[in-house]
Amino acid sequence: MMHFFNPLLSHWATQTGPSFWLPAPVSNFADTVDGDFYFVYWVSIFFLVLITALLVIFMMKFKAPEGQKATSQNDHNLILEVAWTGIPVILSFMMFWYGYKGYVAMATAPSNAMTVTAEASRWLWNFTYPTNGAVVPGASEDFNEIRMGIRDGSLTPEAAAEREAKVLEKAGLHVPVNTPVRIKVMASDVLHSLFIPAFRVKKDCVPGRIGELWFEATEPGVYDLLCTEYCGQGHSLMHSKVVVHESQESFEKWLEVAASYDETLPFEQLGEIVWKRKGCVSCHSLDGSNKVGPTWQGAFGSLRQYTENGVAGSTTVDEAYIEESIRYPMKKIADGYPGQMPVVKLTDKEILWVTEFIKSLGK
Amino acid sequence: MNPNDQAPSGSDVSSQETAKVAPETTESGPSYLTVTKTFASWALTLDHKRIGLMYLVGVLGMFFLGGVFALLVRTELFSPMPLITPLFAADPGAQADLYNQWFTTHGAIMVFLVIIPGVPAALGNFVLPLLLGAKDVAFPRLNLSSFYLWICGAAFFIYVLFSGGVDTGWTFYTPYSTDTSTAVIPAVVGVFILGFSSIFTGLNFIVTIHKMRPKGMTWFNMPLFLWGTYSTAVIQVLATPVLGITLLLLILERTLGIGIFDPQNGGDPVLYQHFFWFYSHPAVYIMIIPAMGVISEIIAVHSHKRIFGYRYIGYSSVAIAIFSFIVWGHHMFTSGQSTVMNIIFSGITFSVGIPSAIKVFNWIATMYKGSLSLNTTMLYGIAFIFLFTIGGLTGLFLGVLSIDTHLHDTYFVVAHFHYVMMGSALIAFIGGLHHWWPKMTGKMFNEFWGRIACALVFIGFNLTFIPQFVMGSLGMPRRYYTYQDKFEIYHQLSTVGAYVMAVGFFMTAFYLLQSLASGKKAPSNPWGGNSLEWHTPSPPPLENFHGVPSATDPYELDHFDYDPVTGNYSSRTTAGSA
Repeated sequence: MMHFFNPLLSHWATQTGPSFWLPAPVSNFADTVDGDFYFVYWVSIFFLVLITALLVIFMMKFKAPEGQKATSQNDHNLILEVAWTGIPVILSFMMFWYGYKGYVAMATAPSNAMTVTAEASRWLWNFTYPTNGAVVPGASEDFNEIRMGIRDGSLTPEAAAEREAKVLEKAGLHVPVNTPVRIKVMASDVLHSLFIPAFRVKKDCVPGRIGELWFEATEPGVYDLLCTEYCGQGHSLMHSKVVVHESQESFEKWLEVAASYDETLPFEQLGEIVWKRKGCVSCHSLDGSNKVGPTWQGAFGSLRQYTENGVAGSTTVDEAYIEESIRYPMKKIADGYPGQMPVVKLTDKEILWVTEFIKSLGK
Repeated sequence: MNPNDQAPSGSDVSSQETAKVAPETTESGPSYLTVTKTFASWALTLDHKRIGLMYLVGVLGMFFLGGVFALLVRTELFSPMPLITPLFAADPGAQADLYNQWFTTHGAIMVFLVIIPGVPAALGNFVLPLLLGAKDVAFPRLNLSSFYLWICGAAFFIYVLFSGGVDTGWTFYTPYSTDTSTAVIPAVVGVFILGFSSIFTGLNFIVTIHKMRPKGMTWFNMPLFLWGTYSTAVIQVLATPVLGITLLLLILERTLGIGIFDPQNGGDPVLYQHFFWFYSHPAVYIMIIPAMGVISEIIAVHSHKRIFGYRYIGYSSVAIAIFSFIVWGHHMFTSGQSTVMNIIFSGITFSVGIPSAIKVFNWIATMYKGSLSLNTTMLYGIAFIFLFTIGGLTGLFLGVLSIDTHLHDTYFVVAHFHYVMMGSALIAFIGGLHHWWPKMTGKMFNEFWGRIACALVFIGFNLTFIPQFVMGSLGMPRRYYTYQDKFEIYHQLSTVGAYVMAVGFFMTAFYLLQSLASGKKAPSNPWGGNSLEWHTPSPPPLENFHGVPSATDPYELDHFDYDPVTGNYSSRTTAGSA
């Protein structure tokens, strides 16, 4: 079945700014979703007007004083019953069908899509770019401050725009225009949901599961990214921005800057950034709990039993052992762990920072 | 078509006999209200009418409480900046927590303590045995115990209010509900107990309708309200236990750390959503189907015309009840449920729309060529049709998978379910309250103020929720304490609407209470209805009827003479057919 009513609705679906009902359409799905929306909308308006008109006309025409007899006691008409059963059946099947077609397209990302991971936790977003491991914060706090600044007049619109641009240099979900992007969504504590109204996409972030959505942004610009699953105190402040770059080049340029380190920071802080960016976080905890690998809490200076080529041994965890474990992760496998650590290519500087970070976590 | 075709042949109800209605007596013995006067005679009563009345008082009290929280929420949202929460808490975080507790309390009270028991337990208890010409429900003691379970559940909710509130939303989604430090367990225990109250009522009604119909009343000449309550009762009995078990599991998870829903302990939060909606979606129909039954009575009686398409309305109630069990997955279109599941649930969801549409068209056809009394009750009936139409049509948007992806968890959903829950279920409850008020209390209420209040509620309601549709589709998520400035105007309109509605409801409370004190005495049949409750004095005697009534054709509404002096419709043919 085709969208045969599309010509009728095209002027709605192709408009660029926000309409009365819907935000500006800026993704590959917006036209389909908006077309479906207006199909249901006009069917609904038709029936609402019909039913309201009948109610009003009947109220005026058949209003009668108490005690007056009704002019008819007819209680049955098969043709009417068939009509008002059949027509809704047909219309609702059409609605189902369009929704199904549109949804299937949204459910399956093309294989060449660029992947970004969005991790939600109370009450912030973190976006990870696997190409270089850059972890970029959602910066909810900054956007809220800007919003408050505009409201209480302490920020002029120009100053607010400038501040936002500054924040976005190292924050937000950045994507190139006209490129399929797959977002893997995760949550670390409770349910959250990633919603980008301008793209018409939404996916719940469920702890313990990896969800997925995809889109292709069609218009460069800055758009809202919101949490739509209730997550407690900061739920309504848990928002960020999506930046659609006008070209692949400008996106990559941004990513390079975002991935760079602010080397004025103390080493252990830089080490923590590495721990997050390079994915150490997924196997090594900081709170003493054991995940796939040993915790880093109190690791430095402790005695570690290991197996090397089937031979048991032991060592104190020191700088040399840490560097060896990063460069050759399968050489000495700590006892009690499966030995699944991949080779993560770290620069000398990054190894130094991580080591300092582990040191700072106590003995 | 001969009206008797609606009643299957083989029944002993002919139009001659239906005309011979229950003995109409004008003798004024003591009514159920005055027969005994002690406190114990109310507290320990087994009379379904007194139990219904006590339920009514309780439900209306809780409606007031839930309404107060709704107004707190709406007032706070008048501005995106903290507005009234700073009056109660100094710390910004605590202010947001407070707001979260308000909307949770509003939702939980309205759903579990008001709308679910509203029509079945309050109105149903009073009317159902009367409609059947019976003396009481099948199990009067069970009936009383279900009322006390309701009181007990309500007490838990009151306790929650005074012990720091609960902030999970009425859905108690995990893992938030496992994690939060608020009073989840007392609230959940309250809901658990209320579930039993609901099951007992449902069980009672099923048996009563099966076993206690009067001679001559077949399934197909029962008043449609009974079809509604019967379908509802089936859902109550079959679905509520699932909620009970789910909430028990939640309590076990919180207290003993058993990982059922919390992924940190190996559980699955989406499993909770499946369990929860397996009950709570049918629960939507627990709320709306009896309301539809009320509307079928109101529209026919106040149009003084046979209900149009009796069988279609009756069957559609049953169809909705059945479909209601297999659409729960449409609450999880964005939760990561598989694509195939989503498609199946979307398809089935549309099947619920059809019987709803059938009902609306049949009610409108009933009005055609009727003799419409546009009194307060009928205005509520007509308001219901309009509001339910909007509620139903906006449900279509949410059933369409592609659109739901955009609209899910936004204010569009909030507005949609308020049109169904409040604009439909609660408006029908208020309409039914007016319809049976003379029968329950023996007093007529003030029509003038009744119509004004109905108009205020209607206008206020639409003003509250139409802006919510718009901001929802523009991308305003639900359960937000603060919001982007561009949504301010919609929130302000919505808040003004809520206050208009509140004025309407206070007016209603006022003239109804006033009618108790100084209302005109109600005749036995003020509206011209022919179901059995109109064939006994208002208010009815303790035993409901003087003598044993036999079945009437509830929709034979044109054989009455209206007496403008007493305001009574008396059966012309009773005298003539002898």
